[in-house]
Amino acid sequence: MQAIDHHAWTNHWRDRHPLEKLLPALSLLVLTLALPPLKIGPLALAGATLATVCGAGIPLKTALSVLAAPAAFLLAGVPFLAISLRFNDGFSLHFSPEGLQLALETSVRALAAVSCLSFLTLTTPLADWTPLLRRVGIPAGIVELILLVYRLIFVFAERALTGRQAQTARLGYSRLDRSVRSLGLLTGSLFQRSLEQARRLEIGLAARGYSGDLRVLQPEHVLSWPWLLWAMTLVGLVGLAGYWI
Amino acid sequence: MTAPLLALCGVDYTYPGGVMALHGLDLTVAKGRKLAILGANGSGKTTLLLHLNGTLQPTRGEILLSGQPVRYDRRFLTDWRRRVGLVMQEPEDQLFAATVGQDVSFGPLNLGLTIGEARERVAEALTALQINELADRATHTLSFGQKKRAAIAGILAMRPELLALDEPTAGLDAHGVAHLLDALQQLHAAGATLVFATHDVELAYAWADQVAIFHEGVVLRQGETAAVLADIEVMSRARLRPPLLLELAQLLREECGDEVWRPPRSREVLLAQLRERLQDDGNERCCG
Repeated sequence: MQAIDHHAWTNHWRDRHPLEKLLPALSLLVLTLALPPLKIGPLALAGATLATVCGAGIPLKTALSVLAAPAAFLLAGVPFLAISLRFNDGFSLHFSPEGLQLALETSVRALAAVSCLSFLTLTTPLADWTPLLRRVGIPAGIVELILLVYRLIFVFAERALTGRQAQTARLGYSRLDRSVRSLGLLTGSLFQRSLEQARRLEIGLAARGYSGDLRVLQPEHVLSWPWLLWAMTLVGLVGLAGYWI
Repeated sequence: MTAPLLALCGVDYTYPGGVMALHGLDLTVAKGRKLAILGANGSGKTTLLLHLNGTLQPTRGEILLSGQPVRYDRRFLTDWRRRVGLVMQEPEDQLFAATVGQDVSFGPLNLGLTIGEARERVAEALTALQINELADRATHTLSFGQKKRAAIAGILAMRPELLALDEPTAGLDAHGVAHLLDALQQLHAAGATLVFATHDVELAYAWADQVAIFHEGVVLRQGETAAVLADIEVMSRARLRPPLLLELAQLLREECGDEVWRPPRSREVLLAQLRERLQDDGNERCCG
């Protein structure tokens, strides 16, 4: 998570208008869902990964490791699609050709779709999405809440990490039963501290005139139409290729 | 005589649990001064600071803002907090937005400024603290010192007349302290009144032109820095030790029987004085 966040804030395309990334990525996603997966899938996967690595300058290793988690889920789940259960005489498990085909198609499609989304998460920090979220009609309160939670995740992640380190230093995780106990204590203290933190944050915000809404300046990005047009053309070409091959 | 910017007269404060944090506290903040509120750890300095911007309301006593008794309705509080900015000790208690620039813009937007004006205020505040390059950085990636400056910038962007800081140098290294004090010095030169709560006697001595010694809910003595810090009785009652520079200067004065030793305010001045002294004396051995 830390790595994703780090790259989202520092990649080459960080300052591009979020729409310039969102529209091509979503279009590619729609194509992978609509077209025959075995044709468009590899193309979309390659295209999205290429854009992430060569375009936005994110290390290939990071891009792949982001794909690794969903790939693992796929690996765990998909084999069952290839297996069918029969109850003719007794009951038996069979690999069916259709099942195998289905499993393959599902994995390719899912992986390609995930690569489109991971392109977005790796190139655009959460804060940049807020103007778009507001524009599509999500209430200000919800958007503020999203941003606040985003910020506090890091505060508490750090607390949890240092808390764990402190417990480890006093051998809190040296045995299974101690580990369970330490983890419980840590969790409890984190709840308590988050309440305290919330109260102090409210004082801090009140000092700056907080009166119910967390309004801040929105990031300003200029939409480059030529860039968007190019990106959409490329996505279109990928789509055509996937259709004709 | 014009009324002081902020005055606390006979203020009592009892926490809901019944713990009495302030009793009969008097404090005056004159315009354009640098006031240090000195107290040992746990003496209730933070509680006192929270009264300066109306976060806490005294259970008894009076607070005057420019000679006017304060009120605790929303209108008055808004104006009060625009004029008195409070920087908390933990920057984490103030920073809530995703980027530094966004966080700093929070105060100005709450003042009802336009987007353009808010943008200007943000740039101005970041420049004052010399952290322009952090504007688009994610808040959670900052170092502690950077967070601290970002938190101050968030208050500064509201252009307060009085800037109150809780333990501003706590947790900073020597470079961070120097950097911060430099920025604060420039603010002061530009006309800001500064109040800071600290347990650091050396800092108060080097920096404040007025000191209030705070102990067990009361201000024992408020006055000019050198005079108050040299008051051994008050200092020891508050469990504080006079600054080393002051003690050293007193010792030298006694040893040398010299009337003109002016207590140096910084180690640079002390070193220069000593050097001058040693050269003057040559072989005479005065302070050996």
